[in-house]
Amino acid sequence: MLPGPLALIAEITHRCPLHCVYCSNPLQMAALCSELATEEWVGVYQQAAKLGVLHLHLTGGEPLARTDLTQLVDAAHAAGLYTNLITSGIGLSEHRLTALVRAGLDHVQLSFQDSRESSADWIAGTRAHALKVELAPMIRRSGVAFTINMVVHRQNLDRLEEMIALAESLHPDRLEIAHVQYYGWAFKNRDALLPTRKQVNDSLRIVAVAQERLAGRIHIEAVVPDYYARYPKACMGGWGRQQLIIDPAGKALPCHAAGVIPGLQFHTVREHSLEWIWRESDAFQKFRGEQWMPEPCRSCDRRAMDFGGCRCQAFLVAGDAASTDPACSLAPKHVLIEEVVARVNASSGSADHSPQVGEKINSLWSYRPQPGQ
Amino acid sequence: MPLPQDSSQPRLASGCRWTGEGDKRMLLFPEGVLKLKGTGHAILERCDGQRTFRQIVDELQGLYSASEPEKVRNDVGGFLERLQQKRVVDF
Repeated sequence: MLPGPLALIAEITHRCPLHCVYCSNPLQMAALCSELATEEWVGVYQQAAKLGVLHLHLTGGEPLARTDLTQLVDAAHAAGLYTNLITSGIGLSEHRLTALVRAGLDHVQLSFQDSRESSADWIAGTRAHALKVELAPMIRRSGVAFTINMVVHRQNLDRLEEMIALAESLHPDRLEIAHVQYYGWAFKNRDALLPTRKQVNDSLRIVAVAQERLAGRIHIEAVVPDYYARYPKACMGGWGRQQLIIDPAGKALPCHAAGVIPGLQFHTVREHSLEWIWRESDAFQKFRGEQWMPEPCRSCDRRAMDFGGCRCQAFLVAGDAASTDPACSLAPKHVLIEEVVARVNASSGSADHSPQVGEKINSLWSYRPQPGQ
Repeated sequence: MPLPQDSSQPRLASGCRWTGEGDKRMLLFPEGVLKLKGTGHAILERCDGQRTFRQIVDELQGLYSASEPEKVRNDVGGFLERLQQKRVVDF
């Protein structure tokens, strides 16, 4: 029998006070009026736990924008799920954090855009950095597992050592150095965000040194960005294999960006049970297993490791969701990635823009706006 | 990284907790889950912040009396050290 999913990523709202230029939300965001109600999410968590899900990742948008967040954590915890809050911190107070921890929150993942306030706020399109720095000690004291997530790209990678030092000063258990992945707003802003080869190589060295130095204190998780890797990432641990995402309106997706793939019909938890969506729906079966694989994946030794890479990236870059992820050096369309990488490396490395906070129109990139009401 | 000191009191790190009973007993932590059987399970169940490393080693020696005492100490210490690096235990 098909194993159930291990993790549920619940995008409980697309509303967010930040406007990060690499946001993984789709370009067409779910409006406030379409969001699932409290009891609908509670039902989803109960179904998820029965299906075998262990971890619930509460994300957005900014999950704190939901006033019922504590109720949601409480229900998820009661259903037996391990709860992780992925947040910018905006909207968190000592009072609210205490209530969340009491409700059973297990883990907080706080994101940072940069080590320096001016550039962090420029990337987020709003003033948020100083508040994040203030919130960190409160999260640390609360008793939950604490992860700092540093999102890195061409505009901040030259400050990676400084970013690690900032994280270190905030005493998390874990530090995730997450290269931007090129979907949603990040794909739209790719030319401004994709790092240079020199930056990537320098960052690998910096990370290795920090991992050794901080071993036993802060666990550093970092991966090579797939545009510079030899083989693609095992996106979501394989399509419909380990994880699923539910968007604010209840639409279930096998990958954050799956909505871009034409011809796939995604069902919502309002119409169908989670079990039916996982086991029976066409969308989850479409790229599950190996039947769909073209060559060179079909006969590749790595097919059970990376599952042919990401279907959404195959569509976004190569125009065909059923083709080998072009990030793979063996992919017939790998040249499309090489061209982007060559273009970025030919232009000047990091930008010398002087950041203007609140600047909503910018020749460098597009900020992510708010979803509709 | 040195082994834990005899007097240290290994405990689960923040946000790491047990769930399930019997065969379904597992340890949840931010990035995943440990489904441990045998020795690993016996060690982690004893990381309660009360027992010292020395006591845990002694109890494990009691369970696996055929093993060399020094080997048990090194194995238990090495296991805890790896889990400390993953931020699953503290000592």
